[in-house]
Amino acid sequence: MDIVVAVKQVPDTSEVVDVIKIDASGKDIERGTLVSKINEWDEYALEEALQWKQKLGGTVTAVAAGPGEWDDTLRRALAMGADRAVRVDEDATVIDCSAVARTLAALIRRLPYDLVVFGAQSEDFGSAQLGPMVAEMLGIPHAALVIRLQVEEGEAHVERELEGGTRELYTLRLPALLTIQTGINRPRYVSFASVRKAREKELSVMSLDELGLSPEALTPAVELDRLELVPAGKRAQLLSGSAEEAAAKLAEILRDSGVI
Amino acid sequence: MALTEYKYSDVIHRCFRCGYCKFPTSFVEVNNCPAYARYRLESYSTGGRLWLIRAWLNDELDWSEHLGEIVYSCAACKNCAEQCPLPFSGDIVDMIVAAKGEMVERGSIPSAVKEFLENVDRQGNPYGTARSKRGEWMEGTDIEEYRGQEFLYYVGCVGSYDTRAQQAARALGRVLQKGGVSFGVLGNKENCDGNDVGKLGEAGLFEALAEENVRQFKDLGVRRIVTLSPHAFNAIKNDYPRLDSAFEVLHYTQLLRDLVRARKLDVSSGFNAKLTYHDPCFLGRWNMEYEAPREVLRTIPGVELVEMERHRADALCCGGGGGNFYTDFLGGSEDSPSRIRARDACATGASVVATACPNCLTMLEDAVKAEGLDDRLKVMDISEIVSEACPPKGN
Amino acid sequence: MDSICQSLAEIVGESHVSNRPEELYVYSRDLGTAEPHLPQYVVSPRTTEEVQQVVKLANREKIPVVPLGGGLTLAGLVMPLKGGIVLDMKRMDSILEVNERARYVLVEAGVSQGKLVAYLDRHHPNLVHSEPGAPGQATVAGNVAIHGQGDLAQPYGFNSDMVNGLEVVLPTGEVCRIGSCSLGQQWFTQHPLPDLGLFLGWCGTTGIITKVSLRLFPRKRIRDMGVFVLEDGDLVPDILYRISHTEMAGDLIAWSQELPVTVSGLHNISIFISGDSEEEMELKRKLIRVGILGEYIRSGTGGLIGLSANVRPRLPRRPPVSTIQDIKKGGGFEYVGAIMPVDTYPECCRRGADISARHDIAYTLLGRVIGRSHAMMFSWSYVFNRADEDSVREAREALYESDDLALELGGIPWKPGVYGQRAVMERMDPNTLSLMKKVKELLDPNGIMNPGNWEVS
Repeated sequence: MDIVVAVKQVPDTSEVVDVIKIDASGKDIERGTLVSKINEWDEYALEEALQWKQKLGGTVTAVAAGPGEWDDTLRRALAMGADRAVRVDEDATVIDCSAVARTLAALIRRLPYDLVVFGAQSEDFGSAQLGPMVAEMLGIPHAALVIRLQVEEGEAHVERELEGGTRELYTLRLPALLTIQTGINRPRYVSFASVRKAREKELSVMSLDELGLSPEALTPAVELDRLELVPAGKRAQLLSGSAEEAAAKLAEILRDSGVI
Repeated sequence: MALTEYKYSDVIHRCFRCGYCKFPTSFVEVNNCPAYARYRLESYSTGGRLWLIRAWLNDELDWSEHLGEIVYSCAACKNCAEQCPLPFSGDIVDMIVAAKGEMVERGSIPSAVKEFLENVDRQGNPYGTARSKRGEWMEGTDIEEYRGQEFLYYVGCVGSYDTRAQQAARALGRVLQKGGVSFGVLGNKENCDGNDVGKLGEAGLFEALAEENVRQFKDLGVRRIVTLSPHAFNAIKNDYPRLDSAFEVLHYTQLLRDLVRARKLDVSSGFNAKLTYHDPCFLGRWNMEYEAPREVLRTIPGVELVEMERHRADALCCGGGGGNFYTDFLGGSEDSPSRIRARDACATGASVVATACPNCLTMLEDAVKAEGLDDRLKVMDISEIVSEACPPKGN
Repeated sequence: MDSICQSLAEIVGESHVSNRPEELYVYSRDLGTAEPHLPQYVVSPRTTEEVQQVVKLANREKIPVVPLGGGLTLAGLVMPLKGGIVLDMKRMDSILEVNERARYVLVEAGVSQGKLVAYLDRHHPNLVHSEPGAPGQATVAGNVAIHGQGDLAQPYGFNSDMVNGLEVVLPTGEVCRIGSCSLGQQWFTQHPLPDLGLFLGWCGTTGIITKVSLRLFPRKRIRDMGVFVLEDGDLVPDILYRISHTEMAGDLIAWSQELPVTVSGLHNISIFISGDSEEEMELKRKLIRVGILGEYIRSGTGGLIGLSANVRPRLPRRPPVSTIQDIKKGGGFEYVGAIMPVDTYPECCRRGADISARHDIAYTLLGRVIGRSHAMMFSWSYVFNRADEDSVREAREALYESDDLALELGGIPWKPGVYGQRAVMERMDPNTLSLMKKVKELLDPNGIMNPGNWEVS
């Protein structure tokens, strides 16, 4: 079974939320001090693809549409076990999903695939649109927010996660596209040594030109106006008393505010 | 890797599971192995762990979360290596680290360990907090950046980011200044020393960190290093390549001892307390430094030093080693080694337990609170005790 | 977690139960040559009440229960031969009371020998117990449950003769107190109450010992040892008989080993003495050295190292730290111990050396005198390489031969594994055997206590 996994590299903002600054253009964050990493959802997608390759045989190809720095994430995918990686050289600040979707669709059409997997959304812009758009462009069925997957005999049986723990069960005929939700599996660790060894695997880079895409064809339909930071809140409440008393007060506050 | 490729394949079957590894020299308690203390199941003792590792490498046992947790619950404290009577005893911790290394290469490690390693890789510390915040502990002090002073004061990840340990980092800075030591710090440019990364089996990442750090030290012309943490002391002293530069590394208690002996550090304000000293594993069993911290404490007027039943080479590990201060495989119970140690300290009648390691400091502080002993036992780093004993400048 | 596991977790707490492959693996394997047997559950109780509840559950569900102390009997006695629950008793390790005047200590079953030695050393330095010489994690209860012996054997007998009282959980779940403690008195004596010898020597097949009151003995300030070395093993029984007559010695051990090479072909008698003053020591030394050994030394039959006022020998640690298991660099060690008449020592050695030679293992032979030469515990020890199946098999065969040899020479295998048990039972008086069966059935109607061991067919 041939699986294509689309991955993205994003800035690591998990522990640095309070140091994010808007840059001079007002349309992006200052990325200078930020380290980048694989998009969390894509890690689960990759792991899922690799596990199915282990079970059923076949290949896993990692693809991305982004700048040269994104080779780090593709190398990581190769170190995890992907057989080859392809990057379309593109400016990552294009946030219009339809443009990116067109690029990836053009690439994926050239590859053999039974299954295409995307992460359900990205950590930076979080639109969750890319996977479904690419599926439409490829003309294949898709299911989003997949929390469990079973592949057998040309079909994908999926569970989708809805609110309140509800699940929907679907069967899709392959080829199909799935967007993967976090928690579907436990992504393997990628050791430093294995990333170094992955340099031996194939990572090819293509231009938009080679895919037959003109810049005009990728004119964004959506344009970012500006980015703003949410102003920091000024309310702080000190809870006094013993540990049990403070805990009780805290529980009350959380309950009243609807958090629990 | 099949069993035959494992580095210690010729010795791992030689463990008899006789159980000496669970005890200190005096046999006074059977819980001197922190993982065995916590779980009291044979699988968590060193012998059980070695038998399980062998079974896994030999394909008799599949990898599981539980196996990963058992192997990673080893705090690398070296009690087993100290107590095992057999010729390969010195290799025991390395045998477990090699098994962790195999798990790392296969990608099968517990999620908390994965987080630890990925955080170090990205942000240079296991907490994953921004590199740009590494120097924040210095705010409000007049500690200088390193630009060729006699000593590089290497703080480490726990001292830089943990709020309690930051107090010790600042206290040490004050003490070094009072002692007239010429020193500087790397601030945001400091990177993880990698000791615990190595003990977690990620040799590739450790080597990369060590090489980067040595290059950095060399480029800055560092000649002498003083560390807050025994973990950094251990890695830099024993495991770092020297490349072509020679530098000397001391744990801060060794430097303070030298200052005290040379009468360069005035501790005449004293510190009135009956206190007991907890030997950190990476200073004690790993590097056999049991005396310097005690000498420093004994020179402070007002200090009455009493020893815990299990001390020096018999000290019970606080349970923070092997990454456990973050992964926390040994926490959550009155049998946690840190809580047993807190009880040990209390039993001496001391009102202060002194630490010389930021991991021990945070682990014991939490344990004392969990035991409800915080009304009669304070946990303080030696740097903080010495800082209090130094007279304030001027009037 | 299945429902039984769930119920066990409710009794002892979730972190003290496991049915996971890792715990089952470790607890299925004995340190000796016995084949592995997987338990279904591993349980680690803290209190007698928890033990009771586990046993009651086991009766309801008809699952075997196998109590485990230090796991150092090495004969496979703690293997769950029919699956079931392995009950790791080592969390029950409180030292409850030391009564100095009546000279006893009351311990929970899981107290390790090491912990007891350290405790008495620290808090009651004029009292000792008979320490068996096993690695420190061996338990006090395990040792009495198998009729163990220790370093006070020559003066005072088997460790199981030093028991003042027991608390046991019967296979049906009731708790019984045996001895003066059953009246709520101090735990100072078993007699004059009717003998209820239903648990000592039964190796955990008739109930679970949860508390032991063990006699303590005077500890003198000075301890000394000498080793008498001779070539002629036939002389050993006589020497042991005469030394025990003096009533001056403590531990008395005759031993013969092929390795190290320096002792090969020789017989050694280790003689320990203790006293509170140099005068006492000198008297004892003279009575033994001059009175008994003198003639052998003068005739050149043997030589004595130590037992003189100006020699300070290095005494072994208590409990000892041994490395014998690494001789074949294989981490495996098992021995047949047998209670033998002292006079059989020379033949035990000759035949033992022969068995060892045929199985390509260096002979390691030892006889510890029990009582005033009333008997000796003679051990034939075999080291093996755990990673080499052939080595394991050779050791196992040598062990079976040793079990047979002990019986042939007029002794009884001590704490035997299943092979030795069957050999013993085959030769036993049929009425006695039948009585054993009745006792077992009376106490354990559902047959859940360590089944497969000491099973009378």
